[in-house]
Amino acid sequence: MAKILVVDDSSTVRDEVANFLKGSGLDVATAIDGKDGLAKMKADPGIKLIVSDVNMPNMDGLTMVEKIRGELGNAAVNVIMLTTESSPSMKERGKAAGIKGWIVKPFKGAAVLETFKKLSA
Amino acid sequence: MTDQLISKVLVLDNSPEHINIIKQFCDENNLVGLKVQKNRLMSVLRSNIDLGAILFSASYGASPEENAEIATRIHTLRPELPIILRRDDAATLDDIPEIRRRVFCGAYTTDDMAALSHIIEEYIFSQVYPNELVRGISEITEDVLASQFKHMTTTWATPYIVRDKVIFGEVFSLIPLESAWCRGYMMLQTEEQAILDVLDAYGNKPEAANFRDVNSLLGEVTNLIWGAFKNRYIGDAGAASASRVQVPLIVNHKHKYISFGSENPQLCFFYTMTDENSGKTIKLYQRFVFNLCWTPEEFKEIAHDASELVDSGELELF
Repeated sequence: MAKILVVDDSSTVRDEVANFLKGSGLDVATAIDGKDGLAKMKADPGIKLIVSDVNMPNMDGLTMVEKIRGELGNAAVNVIMLTTESSPSMKERGKAAGIKGWIVKPFKGAAVLETFKKLSA
Repeated sequence: MTDQLISKVLVLDNSPEHINIIKQFCDENNLVGLKVQKNRLMSVLRSNIDLGAILFSASYGASPEENAEIATRIHTLRPELPIILRRDDAATLDDIPEIRRRVFCGAYTTDDMAALSHIIEEYIFSQVYPNELVRGISEITEDVLASQFKHMTTTWATPYIVRDKVIFGEVFSLIPLESAWCRGYMMLQTEEQAILDVLDAYGNKPEAANFRDVNSLLGEVTNLIWGAFKNRYIGDAGAASASRVQVPLIVNHKHKYISFGSENPQLCFFYTMTDENSGKTIKLYQRFVFNLCWTPEEFKEIAHDASELVDSGELELF
């Protein structure tokens, strides 16, 4: 089964999103920041969708995506940002890195579940 | 909720002929006067975290010596709180010995309350907080609390101004706010057990919640309010002040005290979340301290193009 990687420094958000997705029958891994997310991506080629926060310690979410595209040469994994940020410049940077979408927190799982399923298939 | 900010003042004045004048003054000047019995004064001062000033009578106490001793003890315990002296003869501190004078920030008489008005303006309401900002903060915070505490209803009290530097001593968060018109911090304070109770009742973990879960939840509430504040009032980070001046924050755990390096009055909000099923409540204190920059004349609410707006929780596909 394709896997979704949830990257957020907040355990509250990680647990909320991961539990919702697991409860919906999806396979989920978690990472505590961008650096951890990058390491999980290197180690697990089965990850098809990343749901990531932007503002995180050690490595932010957008830098993580840029490194996945650049250093790992992975242009295939789909990425959705789940963040409090909504500034146009942040979104432009995300688009340039090839992210698929942007969700302003809080997370409302039911509204995005079908899209998540398609992007992780 | 009204947009008018208030502040709580402790009234230490036992003179019946003056107390009604002071009460009327408080009513007319957005002050909430609090009284306390003399034998409970110090414990109230130690526990009350949201005072703006103290109105202190020159005749308070059993003798002039006790009066001086009480004023000194208050100033020693809470030096950040302005003590305003009511005298019978003249609104001046000039004839008071220097060693006693330093504990007071000013004096007034009830014959001329204009002097008290000036002191209140100088020490409590010296910073202008735009109504749109005050109202917006309440709205943002209520939305965030509703999203994180789904089984609870939230109410909030009239926003107020404090000069207190006392912290709760249980759990609090701090996050910087940086823009072209403000630089400072938002602080949230709450009680650990109240959140643990809610997490145990409604959380989705099989094991009992612990303090790390409380930290994480408070952190996320802080993050969500910060994000919404930024999106509504700050916009792109590029607009932030070029100045990178910082000052140290001092936290003294022993005395439950925090200093932001500024004597500015602070904008405060108080929310109560109630679990209708159990009746249990969570109290949340929210404090804004614009200690590094405050230019409200440059305040503006970001005017989004309606076509660019995306509701929180909705997926915007690129």
